[in-house]
Amino acid sequence: MRKYIDYIVIGIKEHMVYPSAIWAKLFSKIIYLYLQFSIWTALFSSHSQMNPLINREDTLKYIIVATIISAFIECNTIKWINAQIQTGNIIMEFIRPIDFRKMIFSRHLGDSIVKIIFYCIPLSMLAIAVIRKPLLCQEQILYGLLSIILAYGIQFLYSLIIGLLAFWLIVTWPLNMLLDAIYKLLSGAWIPVTMFPDVLYNINFFLPFRAIYAIPVTIMTSKMSPQNIWKDILTQLIWIIFLFVITEIIWKIGKRKLIVQGG
Amino acid sequence: MSIEVKNLTKTYKVKKRSNVDEIAGDFGTRKYSLMTAVNNISFTIPSGDIVGFIGANGAGKSTTIKMMTGILTPDYGTISIDSLNFKKNRKQIMLKIGVVFGQRSVLCWDIPVIESFKLFKDMYHISEKAYRENMEIFSDILNLSEFIDKPPRLLSLGQRMKADLAAALLHNPEILFLDEPTIGIDVLAKSKIRDFICKMNQERNTTIILTTHDISDIEALCKKMIIIDKGTLLYNGTLQELKNSYRNSYQAELYQDTAIENNLETIIKNIYEGEFL
Repeated sequence: MRKYIDYIVIGIKEHMVYPSAIWAKLFSKIIYLYLQFSIWTALFSSHSQMNPLINREDTLKYIIVATIISAFIECNTIKWINAQIQTGNIIMEFIRPIDFRKMIFSRHLGDSIVKIIFYCIPLSMLAIAVIRKPLLCQEQILYGLLSIILAYGIQFLYSLIIGLLAFWLIVTWPLNMLLDAIYKLLSGAWIPVTMFPDVLYNINFFLPFRAIYAIPVTIMTSKMSPQNIWKDILTQLIWIIFLFVITEIIWKIGKRKLIVQGG
Repeated sequence: MSIEVKNLTKTYKVKKRSNVDEIAGDFGTRKYSLMTAVNNISFTIPSGDIVGFIGANGAGKSTTIKMMTGILTPDYGTISIDSLNFKKNRKQIMLKIGVVFGQRSVLCWDIPVIESFKLFKDMYHISEKAYRENMEIFSDILNLSEFIDKPPRLLSLGQRMKADLAAALLHNPEILFLDEPTIGIDVLAKSKIRDFICKMNQERNTTIILTTHDISDIEALCKKMIIIDKGTLLYNGTLQELKNSYRNSYQAELYQDTAIENNLETIIKNIYEGEFL
């Protein structure tokens, strides 16, 4: 167990090595938040053919919370595994008495801790200062937190699976770019999923993306019946179990396929 | 800890390339040909030996080492390390071996070397006492203290290699695999690294498997050597025997004994050219 705590610490330290990078990222996230806020405010003030079921307040809350969550839930595991496999440095992880997947998760966790402290907290304070209204649905915060933790797991497992596909493909970034676009749209990180046309909404119902943003953010921001909350959390649980099984299978087969690149 | 390798074979799939492919890229149908990297190799390395593992570029050395360290899975054949095998006792073996790949580093690029060492201390369950003892020994011979607080990205190649060597030996492994540990290292640092390897072997009876292209490494360190070429085993024995048999086989052809160069580099060059063995 201690070794994985060490890896968390390493994840934290690696992220903190270049302070200017942290500042740059924080500013880019502030700008992105402002951008999202402005776009949606403008959309609602033009109040043309908006669905009456969707109100301005809830949508703005949704977008802000989604943006803040995305600041730490994002996972660079795909990029990391890709680089390791492409350069062949992955062998250095194979000769250690550790579990590769737990190691990556620990690093990611360390990374996320830094992101929460340096991005999420300042962003939240800024948002609260500007909006001056409660962003979260007070009674549902605990469910919301549980849902975010599950979403964090789903996001990680999803990234791990795509990353491990590099055992077969060696280079997965083209695939990653495609999936990234689908992911950003369907997860609800950019646009609330309630605004999707029916077809898209129905397709999305059977995909894991919605469980990463749409579910936790909705629980956090809008009033729901307890049944619906539990239904959503159950959906997330099922996805986590399903993705976990897939990772196990891909890992077992993939590691035998390992080709070491470059000497 | 002895190593036993039996009938080891590994083939790679290689994409066939024709002129059409170069234009069409991967869109056409793919044809594969099989390339045998390692072909039916067997040998035994007894505990406490230093064995030089040599072969020309692409001879299959690295593939063999990677199979012996459990990174690659062989197609056929078995590897047993102290009668343990990778399928069943992977973790146990990992705790007993140390590996240095000269071209790669186990250290975390952006954070001080000492932090990586602390990680390994926890990873291998090294006791505080053993850790401190080892750090003292390593600092003595390798001057670790000069650069231990710097991250690897700020180290010279020689310093990085020393740090990697120390990292591989921190948990007192019973077997040490060194894949080109002196690549690109200056003479002084090289001799330090050699002394260090020798000392570890003598004091701890560490079995050492060393691949290198630097013949002087082999002469300085190894009593035995294994030569492979095109994936097959050419020679497995002591340096002295190799020299003797070389002298004998050339004595008949040459008129004067003095003309026979008895240096290892020439012998090995001849072997690679296919003129001897």
